Amino acid sequence: MRGEIVAFCCERSAYPAADLAGKGKLCYPDNLRVIRIPCAGRVDAIHILKAFEKGAAAVLVLGCEDGACHHITGNIRARERVRYCDMLLKEVGLDGGRVGMFNVAPNETHKFVRIVNEMNEKIKESGETK
Amino acid sequence: MTSCIRDKNIDRVVVAACSPEFKEHVFQQALENAGLNGHLLSVANIREQCAWAHEGDVTEKALELIRMAVNRTRLLQPVEEKELSVNKGVLVVGGGFSALNSAIQLSQLGLPTTLLERESTLGGRIRELENMYGFKTGPMIEAAEGAKNIDILTSAEVLEVEGKIGNFMVRIRKGAEEISRSFGAIVFATGYETEVTDQDFQLKPGVNIISQERLAQMLQASSPKGRPQTVGFIFDFYDENSRFPTLATLSNALAIKQKWGSEVYVLCRDVKVDSEGADQLYREAREHGVVFSKFEEKPRISADDGRVKVEAKDVFLGEDMTLICDLVVAEERILPPAGTKDLSFLLSIRTDSQGFYQDENVHLYPVASERKGIFFIGGCRGDLDFQRALADVSSVVMNVYGLLSSGKVVVEAEKVKVDPQKCVACLTCIRVCPHSAIQLARTEGEKEVAEISDLACDACGVCAAICPAKAIKFEGYSDEQILAQIEALGAP
Repeated sequence: MRGEIVAFCCERSAYPAADLAGKGKLCYPDNLRVIRIPCAGRVDAIHILKAFEKGAAAVLVLGCEDGACHHITGNIRARERVRYCDMLLKEVGLDGGRVGMFNVAPNETHKFVRIVNEMNEKIKESGETK
Repeated sequence: MTSCIRDKNIDRVVVAACSPEFKEHVFQQALENAGLNGHLLSVANIREQCAWAHEGDVTEKALELIRMAVNRTRLLQPVEEKELSVNKGVLVVGGGFSALNSAIQLSQLGLPTTLLERESTLGGRIRELENMYGFKTGPMIEAAEGAKNIDILTSAEVLEVEGKIGNFMVRIRKGAEEISRSFGAIVFATGYETEVTDQDFQLKPGVNIISQERLAQMLQASSPKGRPQTVGFIFDFYDENSRFPTLATLSNALAIKQKWGSEVYVLCRDVKVDSEGADQLYREAREHGVVFSKFEEKPRISADDGRVKVEAKDVFLGEDMTLICDLVVAEERILPPAGTKDLSFLLSIRTDSQGFYQDENVHLYPVASERKGIFFIGGCRGDLDFQRALADVSSVVMNVYGLLSSGKVVVEAEKVKVDPQKCVACLTCIRVCPHSAIQLARTEGEKEVAEISDLACDACGVCAAICPAKAIKFEGYSDEQILAQIEALGAP
């Protein structure tokens, strides 16, 4: 495993937050790979599991704050799917916590960076990062 | 870029540069100029999310991001734009200030407008505003009645709304008969209701204890018999942040002082709402001799020989204070109008925690709802004041005019599309679509399948993710296109 973190970022919240983090030169681990999606609700279990199949160490789904989703319940659906994937991963022996759903507002750059850093620390502890 | 695409006969483009948030549309335009569909483009974000975000050499990551984008771009298909015709008619539901104003302005812009009012006459609670802001409501109602583009339906209500933006089919009950009409957009301006908050104070509304609405009527009556000597207002105890009750109290206290010359006491807590002109109104009321007393505990109210005794502890004096009033105006709270719950269910549109219609986005699209073509303005979307209601009217007139004025709307055709072969009509997508953009349609083979309206769809992809038969393809973010990006992870 090379230890990438794949982040599915909602184009209305987490994606601009990631851009803004870069603009502010807030450094975060360079093993992050952002995939832009129109709404966190677009993320399906197959996308998350495929990332693990291709060697990712962790997957983040980042959507809008609860109650602020432009598509009403997209972030809530994403959370359900992430929970389901977490359960599947536990069954195949990947310990819990490798997949996470977080709410990030478009201006919450520090929160974005903190989430990425925390996930990176977590996978470092399990010795699977490069 | 345009000439390069033309000369080398390029059919898909990857731009490795800054974030797509900034310049994607510029690159898309360049593709269009070269005769290529604008959707055959991916942007690899190697600036904001790579070069600027990390220290040290990140060339490897940049290359990987570009590989991911290339993988996606290979699978992209063109998305054509098409023109759909829309009905220019607008339905305005309500008969109050916001409804009348928007109907008049829309009709002046040449859009045939139908005004639908539940009561038998137009006006709503407009007379209270007349008292509060000193403008004449009569001419406004006359203007609406006289306008040739406005069709007025009174004693009527909405029974059913079907269809999508550009062509809503609305079933209306008017008196005993039912009529069906088609509209391009619907504006709800159903207003608000007020309720005297009596439970906390043991107030029993009656001859001496009245509501703001009743006070407004008394003030408008030309010669009130037996003018009250002392008037007390109670407000701010139930809800400090309510604009309308605060403004009504301030303006009515001032009006009593000016018209009747009574002694006026306002029992309040903080008087702190944000509203244009409210502070001036407060100062003016004080200058005219209205007495404001600050209380923390609820006042005790009892009957006293045909008058009302109000006892409370004044915070500044630190003493108990007793007022004997001829008239007490009770605190009111703002409620959504009756029928809001049914209507929101009918339209599948959310309401907020207090039961008012929920804005699509408080800052960006305050009058829009999650369904395109359906708007909410004025009191039915929460506690507003006069200026905010006026802003709502302008906003909705601009929105509706922009949508319908040309009679045509340009949309992306079949960006999100159902494969009729795979669809088993399980209705899951219809249930989850946040914009009510999906409905059942009959194909040529007499099979019922889900169909997505290009007009109403907002391209979120929730349906594509949830479809058990994987029958929905979201061009640009299809399963294959997302998975292709993941396939490129770590590959050299």
